[in-house]
Amino acid sequence: MDSSVHLDNVVMEFGDFTAIQKTDLKIESGEFFSFLGPSGCGKTTILNMISGFLDPTHGDVKIGGQGMRGVPANKRPTSMIFQNLALFPLMTVAENIEFGLEVRGVSKGERKKASDRLLELVALEGSGTKKVSELSGGQKQRIAIARALAVEPQVLLLDEPLSALDLKLRQHMRIELKEIQRKTGITFIYITHDQGEALTMSDRVAVMSAGKIQQVADPITLYRDPKTAFVASFVGENNGIKGCVTQLNNGIADLDCGVLGHLQGRVQSGVNVGDNATLFIRPEHFRLAAENNMLTIPSAIEEVNFEGSYLTLNANTQAQTSLSIQLGSHQYTDSLVKGAPVSLSYRAEDAVVIGGADHV
Amino acid sequence: MKSETILRWSVRFYIGVFFLYLFTPLIIMGLATFNDSRFPTVSPWKGFTLKWFSALAEDDAMWHALWISVIVAVGVLVVAVPIGICCALFLSTFQGRGKTFLYSLMMSPLLTPGVIVGISTLIFWKGLSVSGGVMLTVIAQTTFIAAYVMLMVLARLQRFDRTLENAALSLGATQWQAFRRILLPYLKPAIISAAGIAFLQSFENYNTTLFVKGYDTTLTVYIASKVRTGLTPAVNALGLVMISITVILAIVYEVKRRREQSIHS
Amino acid sequence: MFSQLKARFGSSLAVGILGMIAIWLLGMVILPQLLMVDYSFRPNLFPSEIGGPKDVYSLGNYETLFSNLIHLKIFLKTIWSSVLVTALTLLVSYPIAFYLAKVATPRQAAFCLLLLVIPFWINEILRTFAWYIILAYKGPLNAMLLGLGFIDRPIRFLSGDGGVLIGMVYAYILFMIFPIYNAIESLDSNQVKAARNLGAGWIRTHWRVIIPHAKPGIATGCIMTFMLAAGSYAVPSLLGSPGSRWFTQIIYNWFFEGGDWNQGAAYAFLLLIICIGFIALVMRIFKVGLGDIAK
Repeated sequence: MDSSVHLDNVVMEFGDFTAIQKTDLKIESGEFFSFLGPSGCGKTTILNMISGFLDPTHGDVKIGGQGMRGVPANKRPTSMIFQNLALFPLMTVAENIEFGLEVRGVSKGERKKASDRLLELVALEGSGTKKVSELSGGQKQRIAIARALAVEPQVLLLDEPLSALDLKLRQHMRIELKEIQRKTGITFIYITHDQGEALTMSDRVAVMSAGKIQQVADPITLYRDPKTAFVASFVGENNGIKGCVTQLNNGIADLDCGVLGHLQGRVQSGVNVGDNATLFIRPEHFRLAAENNMLTIPSAIEEVNFEGSYLTLNANTQAQTSLSIQLGSHQYTDSLVKGAPVSLSYRAEDAVVIGGADHV
Repeated sequence: MKSETILRWSVRFYIGVFFLYLFTPLIIMGLATFNDSRFPTVSPWKGFTLKWFSALAEDDAMWHALWISVIVAVGVLVVAVPIGICCALFLSTFQGRGKTFLYSLMMSPLLTPGVIVGISTLIFWKGLSVSGGVMLTVIAQTTFIAAYVMLMVLARLQRFDRTLENAALSLGATQWQAFRRILLPYLKPAIISAAGIAFLQSFENYNTTLFVKGYDTTLTVYIASKVRTGLTPAVNALGLVMISITVILAIVYEVKRRREQSIHS
Repeated sequence: MFSQLKARFGSSLAVGILGMIAIWLLGMVILPQLLMVDYSFRPNLFPSEIGGPKDVYSLGNYETLFSNLIHLKIFLKTIWSSVLVTALTLLVSYPIAFYLAKVATPRQAAFCLLLLVIPFWINEILRTFAWYIILAYKGPLNAMLLGLGFIDRPIRFLSGDGGVLIGMVYAYILFMIFPIYNAIESLDSNQVKAARNLGAGWIRTHWRVIIPHAKPGIATGCIMTFMLAAGSYAVPSLLGSPGSRWFTQIIYNWFFEGGDWNQGAAYAFLLLIICIGFIALVMRIFKVGLGDIAK
């Protein structure tokens, strides 16, 4: 079955405010797709457009190729898991799961079968007669999933469903969600401000900022080849150094970074000699000693934090900018103290140059 | 520290006097029922009797008035509760210009003296050639009792999580199903309480009823007329019975309400 | 308006909701009041004369009040006495409300509240009747005072306005206590402690910290009490004497003894104006909005 979701040139305006700028995006059938962005970036608005709680001002949402304009939420082949889960407090667990079938007029016996099967899927067999208030946070989470799956949606919409859980449970539920998605083969559309969730579970991620999709890519590409300064600094940690492009050579750009001298990094299309640009280097790509073909930034250690399996450093450059560095903890030595000079080195192919210095 | 102690004891004394003030009248009224005196009093005490209860039981006019009161109260319940619920639903849904005005308008019957509610109803329906009686009493009482119902339902509605409705819709329920299966069960305790209050308010009402009752005397109006003409301790007997019933109901209601509150908090 | 309701409840339910509200607000609240006002500006005519040349708007019914000194006196007395009842009730209620909200332990408060609620559930007529027995010429209060030697002859409590005032304070006290209690209860106890800690005496703490916080509750209580007192028919008719009539009794007489509804409507409208005026005054004094009232 085609359960793709196509945001066909949608625009969402609330009065004078444009919540979603013109967006054209196709989410494939059976894909685990995430929208990642800070709060207020418009990701919830997108979810509401797909679920049918909102209709876009322009354009249309197509599910399985069908235009959805004017189709209300209760008639769409989607179901949603809410941030606060929204389990019905006055119903039992089984009644919650069966609710969607009940309103469709499915017989009692069929409903019972379905809820038993779903309780098994979420590993909560025999909990059907419990009250919602008797469940733990993680169990509530699973019931919410079971309830949403009971109506056999083509697309499951998840609105930050893990945000209420504690860290351990959250990490566990990530694996479980991914597993359920694999078993059911339904398209999952996931909304989160937590990049860890987006990167670990998703096939593809759309990073959003201020009502605009910045980049759509699989997690590894997103991390390695951010297209915009926003993505570079929002996804993972990053150090940005501003400069002016002086040379372009085989996909490597040379930047004049003032007192820091000339630094280099990988460059994508759309950057020309003479442009302002920002060089992004991830903390884990720094080394403390220069090796072959490495570029160095002379700095002084400002702060050292030992975090167990790794250690983080803050260093001040001659340009008075602060860089953060992450090293494996086996690299710790007694010489790493405040004020000690270090030659921070990196490979040009590990750094990314993105046009426009005013973003950061 | 010493002045604190004095303060504390004077507060306690005040509280004691206050509750004495609150309950003495009711107790004296109750006691007067059993006094074998032609006139309701406790001084002088002329001996214990139960005859006023049997006098009450034989009072046909009283039984008729009680019947009228019940009919009116049920009528008010049937009309005022749905209106109050509708107003609460409206206020919890509608956002925009005019909401404060409408809210004030809906509250206004509670801030209007009861006699005026009665008078305006009487005049309005006179124009439609309807004169006082059970029907006008129901209408006049509904005017302000609906506002009580609205406040009680609204109080609960304001704690309702509207994503529950969205969840129901997202699972394929129609708006009616979401209302029927999710919102209404949630509101049920408040609706039951409001219905109880509406019934009681109607039963007790005097100021409004007096103007619209026509020839249909309710129990409260009957008691008032008895106090002014032909007062005997039979009125006390009636009062004692009514107080006993209301006190029992009040305690049951309060205990139930507290229990529910402690479960939810 | 309709679209928001329709989005939530669907069209049929939305129509039902708006319909019910319209029936209530138009048919029971607005139109009857307007018609009453209309009535009050017309002369009292025979049915055959209605719509005829005599059926014109005039202030005649209002002039009656100012030309009839007895009515005017009762009108002013009703206002003044209702203010007095309100002030007395506030004075009696405030310490109780404060005690329940901030001094009593939760158990004590719960018990006291239950005790308070019980008389509240009991019929106003019966509560008033109880005072009728107590205050009677040969009643227990006189008997007690005589027995204790405080007085030589029984006092006629029920001949003046005294009985009415006592009965009204008693009948409406809960409408004062509960709003104030709710308001004080929402005050953070630490604020009281902080004020005490900073050296403020009890009076100053109440005047500067607690009363300002309880303002909406006090305003609600005062408005309710005044409205109930000024509009009361039950208490003055049971506890008053022919010499101490209440304005509502005059209104009643116009309707059911004088048979002049137009005149009665004018008096009723004046009573309503006084109540609205009092509400406006209280809201101005306490600087609270209509939205804060009756929460």
